[in-house]
Amino acid sequence: MDYGIEVRDQEAVVRLRGRLTFNDHAKLRTLIGEMAQNPARRQVLDLSSLEFVDSAGIGMLLIAREEMANANKQFILRAATGQVKRVLTVAQIAKIVPIED
Amino acid sequence: MSFPHAAPTATLPIPDGPTGNGALAGQDGKVTVAADLLSTWLGFADVQRRTLDVVQTELSRTSAHVETATLDLSDRFRELAQKALDQSERVAQIVAMAGSVEIDGERVPLDTLVVGMQDVITDMVTNIVTLSRHAMSMVYLLDDVQKDVGELEKSIGDIDTINRQTNFLALNATIEASRAGEAGRTFAVVAQEVRHLSRSTGELAERMRTKVTAVVKGVRNGHDILRQIANTDMSPQMLAKERVDKTMDSLVEQTAHFQSVLETAATVSSDMSATIAHVITGMQFQDLTKQRIEAINDSLAIMNAGLGELETRIRGELPPGVVSREPREWLNQLLDRFTLSEMRERFVRKLLLEGTALDENGVLDVDVGGSNSSGGDIELF
Repeated sequence: MDYGIEVRDQEAVVRLRGRLTFNDHAKLRTLIGEMAQNPARRQVLDLSSLEFVDSAGIGMLLIAREEMANANKQFILRAATGQVKRVLTVAQIAKIVPIED
Repeated sequence: MSFPHAAPTATLPIPDGPTGNGALAGQDGKVTVAADLLSTWLGFADVQRRTLDVVQTELSRTSAHVETATLDLSDRFRELAQKALDQSERVAQIVAMAGSVEIDGERVPLDTLVVGMQDVITDMVTNIVTLSRHAMSMVYLLDDVQKDVGELEKSIGDIDTINRQTNFLALNATIEASRAGEAGRTFAVVAQEVRHLSRSTGELAERMRTKVTAVVKGVRNGHDILRQIANTDMSPQMLAKERVDKTMDSLVEQTAHFQSVLETAATVSSDMSATIAHVITGMQFQDLTKQRIEAINDSLAIMNAGLGELETRIRGELPPGVVSREPREWLNQLLDRFTLSEMRERFVRKLLLEGTALDENGVLDVDVGGSNSSGGDIELF
């Protein structure tokens, strides 16, 4: 998995690409740190280019949400497709994290 | 029934009108009838009387046949109605069972069961998500712990360095104290104590290193195990919920379909039973038929009696030479109309054998009362 951050006025859009699995846990921790530090209040995770997420990846997304809440920031998941969308639906993540199309 | 009285001669009173062959018009409303014509009339009268007898017998027989057949049919239809009713009850039982399953002796509606199972799977998925989140938190924590323990190892190394320097310093102090002679004696004692202290510190550092090494080893093992746990992807198990949901929905839908089809079947069976009951009621036409045939038979009996009486009276008025003549041609025509052998036999027996004429066509040779009688059989149709 790799990512790119685009910080605008009010929101930072993080575009994830490839596969988000346990092996990316260090990288994701770094990303969470970057998100906590940038000034935007809305942190949007754009998942449109993410092809796959495993259960550890879901765990990491929830940790990210927690860290954003601690930093008093809004955390949003956007444009999930395919397997990622199915897993998010089945896990009922929408009950915890706002999901946008 | 009465007839006008006839004169002792072969003259008969007839109504006005043209006279037939063999009759001469006379005076006083009387006609002279030829003996030949009277013979023929007597023959006809005889045959007609017996024909009426046979017709009466046949009507009674037919009525009896219809009665037997109708009763038999009614019984069979009643049986059929009962079976249709049983069938509808059986189907109703299936309908009652179809929508539920028995679990631990208790009947649970299928939709409740399905919802329950879906809830269980939802809980399972939620648990997987929670577990994954906790596992990742632990992984991050242990990452940090490992880093801290590394720092600790480094600090113990630092203590060693400081200790070596302390020890070296104490050694130098001891040497300098001995050079100072008596004046340095007290200082030598202090330097000696510092060396003891340094040794103790070295030993403590060594014990700490041993323990810290054990902790590091434990933390690394734990970290490895946790990584293995967190690295076990449970997303396929989570996605299995999709399939289970679809299967359950399909199961409920299919059961509903079965139930609806079976309900229709139960209704049809019950309708059949009602229709058959109507059919049985409809078969009471047989009673009416029987009454009508009895009425016809009564009329025929009266006609027959009248005919017999007239025949007897005419016979009494006839001169001795005049006898009745069998109308053979007419009889043959009559018999030809019967296609049913058993009925024909009864006619022949009655008309020919009881009459004065003998059959010219060999009817007498037939064993009329014999075993080839097939009365009441389906050959009728």
